Amino acid sequence: MKILVIEDEKMLCETIISYLEGEGYRCEQAGTVEMGTEKVNLYEYDCMLVDIGLPDGNGLTLVRELKKCHPETGIIIISAKNSLDDKVLGLDLGADDYLTKPFHLSELNSRIKSLLRRRKFDGQKEIIVDKIRILPENRQVFVQDELLPITKKEFDLLLFFISNPGRVLTKESIAEHLWGDFADASDSFDFVYSHIKNLRRKLFDKTGTEYFRNVYGTGYVFE
Amino acid sequence: MKLQNKINIRFLLVTLLVFTVAGVIFYFALDRVIDHNIKGILKSRKTNIILYLQHNKTDSILLGSPDRTIFIRQIAKTEDHSFISDTLAYDEREKELIPFRKMVFSTSVDNNYFEVTILQSLLESEDLQGIIFYFMAILFSLIFLALFFLNRWLSDKAWRPFFKSLSLLKSWKISENRQISFDQTGISEFDQLNRTLEEMIQKMQTDFVNLKEFTENASHEIQTPLAIIKSKLELLLNDNELSGLQHKQLHDAFESVIRMSKLNEALLLLSKIENRQFIEKCDIDFCMLIHSRLEYLEELFALKQIEISVQLNVPVIISIHPMLADILINNLLNNTLKHNFNHGKIIISSGINEITFSNTGKPLTIDPSKLFRRFVKNNNSEESTGLGLAIADEICRANHLRLNYTYLNDLHSFILSC
Repeated sequence: MKILVIEDEKMLCETIISYLEGEGYRCEQAGTVEMGTEKVNLYEYDCMLVDIGLPDGNGLTLVRELKKCHPETGIIIISAKNSLDDKVLGLDLGADDYLTKPFHLSELNSRIKSLLRRRKFDGQKEIIVDKIRILPENRQVFVQDELLPITKKEFDLLLFFISNPGRVLTKESIAEHLWGDFADASDSFDFVYSHIKNLRRKLFDKTGTEYFRNVYGTGYVFE
Repeated sequence: MKLQNKINIRFLLVTLLVFTVAGVIFYFALDRVIDHNIKGILKSRKTNIILYLQHNKTDSILLGSPDRTIFIRQIAKTEDHSFISDTLAYDEREKELIPFRKMVFSTSVDNNYFEVTILQSLLESEDLQGIIFYFMAILFSLIFLALFFLNRWLSDKAWRPFFKSLSLLKSWKISENRQISFDQTGISEFDQLNRTLEEMIQKMQTDFVNLKEFTENASHEIQTPLAIIKSKLELLLNDNELSGLQHKQLHDAFESVIRMSKLNEALLLLSKIENRQFIEKCDIDFCMLIHSRLEYLEELFALKQIEISVQLNVPVIISIHPMLADILINNLLNNTLKHNFNHGKIIISSGINEITFSNTGKPLTIDPSKLFRRFVKNNNSEESTGLGLAIADEICRANHLRLNYTYLNDLHSFILSC
């Protein structure tokens, strides 16, 4: 899978690439609209991450450009401006998702995965992890062909973990993934804990395997 | 009280006082003049009578004049006496008692002694006094009225440039970034005032724009380094070779960065709202919005075992930018959740043009009037940025809505009304 990261902030770009390469993607980077346009026209990518505020122009022009030559490429806009207009415009132009800086890398990764799933496999792909089989489109989880009764939030949580296997997911990033703006409502970490506890118990009951590992009280890893 | 009226009243009071004093002095002066006049008349009549007595034989002297104003009486010799007094006498013509001035004197002609009484009617002089009094009163009132209207007209005219400047100032808002220009008035005091105001406004506007830009730029510029720190820390947290302590420390740093970026985001949002950057509005059904948000939060309420009662039967439609509507409802709902007890209660109800968000919770430790200020936190809660309600308040202010707080029957209530 090839991903083009268009971000003028070098260090941020490096970090994103380093995280994504850890996930097994091949990444290329561009820092300006000009470089981006060149790459978009020359090569084919599975996904493009594009910052809106670039030194020589607006990242949205790249979205237009890409839609012209490679409409099948997934597009995620990353922007420092939490502006509804940009978001609406970006999505109207054909972008698939919109993330506001600063974001959690795990969140970005999970969005990319979900995007690629939808784009590449028409959303019908099953995700199989060990004894767990997930149908993302139907929002169903099977353990050894048996449907696991699972709540909406537990499903989101499981998918988030499965998108970031072996990674430490901090309580903050989990809360934000589940509740967005409401993540800072106090006790949301207790909610994260309680959701994970439930999910852990349900999976353990069916599979006999402990998938979640607590990391020094700061987060969890799915293994 | 209007300055104009104040000046006018003082002016008229002084005028009235002067008129009164002048009137009194005039009255006494007139009185003296008339008195003098009557004395003169009496004296000349006295001289005439003496002459008459001296030139006529005693026998043929008429003892009274036909108009009954002179009475002559022959008397035995007495000492000379002469006095003047006021008296009332019945007047045949007027058929009433009228005031007279009476002069009584004695005189002798060839060893005959006479006492002469002369009566001089005061009626005419009183009439004269009356006429003059009425005339003066009418004149004074006319002058008084004329002065009153003249004064009003003059001050109206003189103050007009001032009121024009005032209304310009009233309609001026710093956030609108509109230049204000005063007309030349031709009155040096007002021109001076207007010039000073213009300079002040220009300075204020520049300062305001600078500050605004600074806040916005600063928040915006801070966002990128924060994103870098956050992502670098996230990468580091995934390093398996970290010890528990290192991991814990990194996580603390990570937490703080998240807090900081939230704070920064909130400040940026506040300055955007203040700068009126959310101009486009559409009609939003707040009841629907609240329902959809509540659905999303269902589990958060359930985990805290909070009982929610929703009575949104009256639709409330508000014209507002959709993002601001979202933030406003999010912040208010968040507030009911964040400051609630476990097993608490939340009541959301709508009325005509108002929605009330009520929740159980600890009583406030801060002054309720400071509730909507920035960085004011109840119980100094750690997780709170202290900006949620400030943002809600600012959104309301920018959209001409009102947000009020009450605490009644152990319920904190925020009432949003339009």
